Amino acid sequence: MIEITVCVGSSCHMKGSYQVIKTFTELIRANQLDDVVHLKASFCMGRCLSGIAVTVNGEPVENVGFVNAEQIFYDHIFPLAQQESAAN
Amino acid sequence: MELFVDAAYESINHYGEELCGDKVEFVRRDDSFLAVLADGLGSGVKANILSTLTSKIIATMLSEGATLTEAVETIASTLPVCSERGLAYSTFTIVRVSRGGDVYLAEFDNPNAILYVENQLTPIDRVEREIGGKTIYTSEFSVRPGDLLMCFSDGVVHAGVGRLLDLGWQYDNIVSYVSENITPQMSAREITRRLLSAVNTLYMQKPGDDSTVCSFRFKTSRPATIMVGPPVNHEMDSTVVNKLMYSRGLKVVCGGTTSQIVSKVTGKELTVHLDYDNPAVPPTATLAGVDLVTEGVLTLGKCLEILKTMTSSDEKQLDRFSLNKKDGATRLAKLLLEECTEAHFLVGRALNPAHQNPGMPVSLGLKLNLIKELAAELEKTGKKVTVEYF
Repeated sequence: MIEITVCVGSSCHMKGSYQVIKTFTELIRANQLDDVVHLKASFCMGRCLSGIAVTVNGEPVENVGFVNAEQIFYDHIFPLAQQESAAN
Repeated sequence: MELFVDAAYESINHYGEELCGDKVEFVRRDDSFLAVLADGLGSGVKANILSTLTSKIIATMLSEGATLTEAVETIASTLPVCSERGLAYSTFTIVRVSRGGDVYLAEFDNPNAILYVENQLTPIDRVEREIGGKTIYTSEFSVRPGDLLMCFSDGVVHAGVGRLLDLGWQYDNIVSYVSENITPQMSAREITRRLLSAVNTLYMQKPGDDSTVCSFRFKTSRPATIMVGPPVNHEMDSTVVNKLMYSRGLKVVCGGTTSQIVSKVTGKELTVHLDYDNPAVPPTATLAGVDLVTEGVLTLGKCLEILKTMTSSDEKQLDRFSLNKKDGATRLAKLLLEECTEAHFLVGRALNPAHQNPGMPVSLGLKLNLIKELAAELEKTGKKVTVEYF
């Protein structure tokens, strides 16, 4: 299971966490990855200065914004998800 | 059993007048609650002076222990006499409620107050008394949580007179309107606003008389404790969290970092929800033992907006406001307005690292001001509010 956490604290909310969560949710559904990707929200993760705070399996991903959310998904999440699906 | 009086009033002015000729005065004491609704003769400045004097004198004298007779006699000899009519006149309704639920009601020339016991219209037994040449009706009865008492000025009874309705709205129709509209959950503010909004419509937005509605919803005392922001001194964390967790009544945490502190101190897991009911308001979270967990400053800002809509006397805003949405700000507003009777804020004044983001238009000063404004708005709705800083 791949765990993605998106910060919804005040600062990240202002930067557009809502859009990021929406994009991720849509992409997870479109790629039928509901069984391997678990999307979670969190309050302030203490990394307010490097884009919207997102972690994938606990590893921080830098410079996430609502404009590049789709790119981030395909760069950092999709490959892991495919491995996970194959392993299953 | 301790009883809390959820009291609210609202007025609309005679068309074209800046001042209202009706005046309501609330006095909250530890052991009792007192309200006076006065309606001065005429409208505008003269009526405003008469009703302000009447309500203030009665409220001050009665809450300091004077008798009704003394208060009425004082008014009779104090009120300035109108030069046109040669009269010194203001009607009044006095409601005094003890902590245990005993109500004393005194009415002079205002439309009769109406009482709902368990949502059923209940007649009030009135006793006639002569004081200083005035006929005053007094009554004593007990209320229980859930009961509702309402009084209003004659502008409500005359709504629409001569225009939409030949004879005005009339007392019996008002009583049946209220009976049809109240639900056991409805707050004093909401029922007040509903009735007054109907009055305004009947007057076609041009009230021919000052109209005031004043409602009292009796509730079991239920305080809410709201923790906002981390304390400046880290060592105070557990003290403040314990203060919250061991408080009586509802518990609320506002703030991402704050809720993480509560989670750490209590050892309970914090789960943040993914679903947005309103993209403008950050999602809420759940934490065992806490009734509501929300994000901080943005939610508070939105909540303040909602409260302002509810308390605003702007006539355009008189329409009923829905408190049934599920986002954090609306849930907080509903909890503060309808579910709690007293609010106690535990405010931490630590600088939030999240707010050092240059794109974040929020400063600590702004947050503290927000809480002050929120407290002031809540007080307007008739609640007891206290704020404590850490």
